[in-house]
Amino acid sequence: MADGFDGRPVVADDFDRGAVLADAHDERPVAEHVMRLREVGVEYRTPAGSVTAVSEVSLDVPSSGITVLAGPSGSGKSTLLRVLSLVERPTLGAVELRGAGTAQLSSRARRALRRTEIALVFQNPADNLIGHLTVGDNLRAAAQAAGRAVRVDELLARLGLPDTAGWKVSAMSGGQQQRLAFGCALARGASVVLADEPTSQLDSTSADLVLETLVDLARQGVPVVVASHDPRLIALADTSYELRNGALAA
Amino acid sequence: MQIPWRAAPRAALSSPLTLIVSLVTALLLSFVVAAAVMHSAASGSAAVDYQQDRLCTESLHPSLEMRSPPEQVTPLLDAVRQTVGDQPMLPATYTREARADFGGKQTYAKFGFRPGATDRLTVLEGGSKDGLWVPKSIAMTTDLQLGKRGMGGRLPPVTAIYADLRDPLDAWWCSERSWVIPNTYAKYDLATSVVWMPSAASFADLPRELAGTVDVTVRFPSAVPRTVDEAEDLLATGTARVKPIADQGVRVVSQLVLPVENAHQTVGNVRSAILPLTLISLLIGLAGVATVTVQWAQRRHTELRLLWVRGSGPAALGGRALLELGLPLVVGGALGLGVGRLLVPVYAPSTALPPGTSTTASAAVLVVIALSVATTWATAAVRTHRMFQAATTGTRVRRVLAAVPWELATAGLAVWAWNRVQHSGLATPLKIGGLPRIDAAALAFPLLVVLTTALLAARVARWALKASHRASLWSKPPAQLAIRRLAAAAGPVTGVLLVGVLAIGTIAVGSSIAGSQKTALEFKSGTYTGAESFAQVADDTVLPDVLRGNSTIVGLSEKNEQVVLVVDPKTFNDGAFGHDVDPALLSRPLRIGSAPRREVTLPGLPAINPEEHLPSFPKLGTSGWVVPRDKVTSADDVGSWYVWSAKPLGELTEALADAGIKYRNVGEKKKAVSGLPFLTIQWTFGFVTAIGAVLAVVAAIALLLAIEVRRRQNAVSGAFSTRMGLRPAALLSSHLLELGALAVAALAVGLTASMVSSGFAVPKLDPAPRLTPTPELPDVFPLLVTTVAGSAAVVLVAAWIAVRAVRSARIGELIRD
Repeated sequence: MADGFDGRPVVADDFDRGAVLADAHDERPVAEHVMRLREVGVEYRTPAGSVTAVSEVSLDVPSSGITVLAGPSGSGKSTLLRVLSLVERPTLGAVELRGAGTAQLSSRARRALRRTEIALVFQNPADNLIGHLTVGDNLRAAAQAAGRAVRVDELLARLGLPDTAGWKVSAMSGGQQQRLAFGCALARGASVVLADEPTSQLDSTSADLVLETLVDLARQGVPVVVASHDPRLIALADTSYELRNGALAA
Repeated sequence: MQIPWRAAPRAALSSPLTLIVSLVTALLLSFVVAAAVMHSAASGSAAVDYQQDRLCTESLHPSLEMRSPPEQVTPLLDAVRQTVGDQPMLPATYTREARADFGGKQTYAKFGFRPGATDRLTVLEGGSKDGLWVPKSIAMTTDLQLGKRGMGGRLPPVTAIYADLRDPLDAWWCSERSWVIPNTYAKYDLATSVVWMPSAASFADLPRELAGTVDVTVRFPSAVPRTVDEAEDLLATGTARVKPIADQGVRVVSQLVLPVENAHQTVGNVRSAILPLTLISLLIGLAGVATVTVQWAQRRHTELRLLWVRGSGPAALGGRALLELGLPLVVGGALGLGVGRLLVPVYAPSTALPPGTSTTASAAVLVVIALSVATTWATAAVRTHRMFQAATTGTRVRRVLAAVPWELATAGLAVWAWNRVQHSGLATPLKIGGLPRIDAAALAFPLLVVLTTALLAARVARWALKASHRASLWSKPPAQLAIRRLAAAAGPVTGVLLVGVLAIGTIAVGSSIAGSQKTALEFKSGTYTGAESFAQVADDTVLPDVLRGNSTIVGLSEKNEQVVLVVDPKTFNDGAFGHDVDPALLSRPLRIGSAPRREVTLPGLPAINPEEHLPSFPKLGTSGWVVPRDKVTSADDVGSWYVWSAKPLGELTEALADAGIKYRNVGEKKKAVSGLPFLTIQWTFGFVTAIGAVLAVVAAIALLLAIEVRRRQNAVSGAFSTRMGLRPAALLSSHLLELGALAVAALAVGLTASMVSSGFAVPKLDPAPRLTPTPELPDVFPLLVTTVAGSAAVVLVAAWIAVRAVRSARIGELIRD
């Protein structure tokens, strides 16, 4: 069963001032880059032989702002995001989180890091939420997973979703669901938020709302890494990396 | 507990089908295990009951038998009464036969007293209890009248004449049979029925020449034990109770010693015989639980992945599965225990369960529930580990598991079991009246063959479905669509086929072997006695009218292991068991079975060297000769003569007694052969049939579920096909072809495997090989009709569900995600 939580609340006011994350980060080592990849390669074994998804990628994720991994479909963006989120081990190379290597970590230790340090937002909005829980319970569950507590109504108001705590997730639009997904990431107080094509399944109005949320997050000092080929999102990037055929473009 | 785990039980309600399947799986699983415990325990009770039926109720408690001078009887009984305390006792005293004078023709008589005896006799004349009660046989011989005092007035007056007791005796008289049944016929008057004295005190006043040494029996009427434990308890307490008297040199008769041993052995035999199949069923059930969990993991994939990326590990996600699926497993397990208890009268050989059986069954079910819960947890944990953490490992393990030739392993076991069948399947009993050792491994042979065939069928089906893309039957669209649907669901299809073959195979094996034992016992008993009932009579006996048409008289002449049966060709088929022999054939001497082809001479018969031959014959079995009665040269020299009747023994003896025909050495088919070894095998395979029925239910539910799970795909493809011109009838025939092929394959493979293996095993599973005939497979037609009808019903329902989904489908809704 997941760990208990320490009861540190995330509140809307804190969020406004950027105090929540700063407070949350106080105990963590300060580094210029929250994550670094060095010579990372990912290969998959298939019946047809070995397939290289990512090859010799080295990149730094700054401790603030929006970092975009751009590139066409099949370029290795999602694979790289899975490596960054510690869901997948790279075949080659090193992944550092706050200056510490993760290569030697056990599965249990990697899970512990995922629990407290990393928030991952999937492409499909519904994949980021637990369908049979209410909106409020989704936020509480996300916070609990990281050992925290959350003031739901204040956070929802900040996300532009006031008075929806008792709603079923299915009652929300795709855009609302995706904003709630970022709300969950926020509720967890993660060191870095990773998002895989967060606007690809949304209409433009809903996508705009999600972009606003990303900008808000970055403004509060939360480093955000986004894999996307959405030009509007790429335009918001403080740092961007272009991937082609699994490698960084020159 | 975090919210997703806390909310899991409520989340479970989102899929009632999963809950129902989990519940039913656990129900069937715990039913099988609980039923196995109760069945084996009940087999002990049934063994006790069967053996008791062949014993005497009043003497189940260890009883006392002694000889004593008449004057010492009362002090002796007082001593016994003092020793046994409150235990009810029923003493009886009998003189030896002695020449008695009742004033007319002299006769032999014996005198007896047993409290309550006169209440259990049929009075023909008189009835006052203050005098002698004389049997009709003595009264007729001596032309005795009521009120007469025998022995020159020294005996009490005769106050009643009663009908002689005859076989079969009721329970109260049973233990006294050797004293109260005259066992005489016309030429032998020495053995007589009892002249009952009015009281114990009057018994002491008998003239000295009649009293002599007397036989005393002391029975201790007790509650009839219904279970092995009760029988064992009665034996132990009874033995302890009479021990002080036994220590004084009094003979103790303990009828229950061997039955208790046999009942214990029966329980052991049945338990060890049903254990392998129960374990196989347990594994199948746990595989079902794992399958349900895998489907659950697929349905909850999104949530599980979310929890995984948030840091939850396999153990926690296994717990998540448990919180959702655990309750149905526990409830299903409890229901299975309840159903197992309720259905005891249906599947078990006895409804009497020893104390502690329910506790044992509950403990077994608890273990099963724990295993189911552990399986659910482990499956979910491993599944999530494989899905999110080590995607390649599972595939490799699965590939290795699929490549292992399990059927070769089970085939090897089947060969080993066959070896046991041939060499030690049913060993000779170690003691008289004991049970032969029944080898559980030998009994497993037909089931191992069925299991091997089922595994083989599943593998071949898997290969065939893999290769089915080569089949191009578009000229027959229903057939082509049926093949494609089968191939698309290769996993569920092979699973259903495997369980279906096992179900049909076990039902067929169980019912055919149980049936073969039942008929073997019937025919062996019938061949051994020759008729439903028999009684030895004098050579000049003529059948009374009431026995004409249902009885015959036969003679038996034996010398140096040569046996000749003398028959009356005209009436033989009326009374003899089971054989309908041509009377014309019976009018000539016959050689039976392996009897040597040479001239034979036996007392009372002419020299015979028959041309005609029959393989077997009542009483003679497979060796002997048959001679028509008109060839007998001296009836008096033929060893013995019998009335063979198709009527029950009671009716035969009543008819003989009413006609004044004296008889002895009676017997009846149902008690001629100890049937316990046959019944042990019958009970074992009766349970196999019950498990087969459970597996059939599992196969049917799995098939219906597979259809229901594929409802959406069926509906989409079916709706498109019909809109592209496929006629509704063709759609229905396509589904019937798909499901029918599966059912026909399961039926054909299951029935063939079971019939072949049973055909080999049945003749070898013969608990009494010295008695003919050898067990044979029963008529399989009723079984065939039942299984075909059942399978057809399941196929029709499944096809209807599939077609209904298509008819009610709206394409616009179906293609929207």
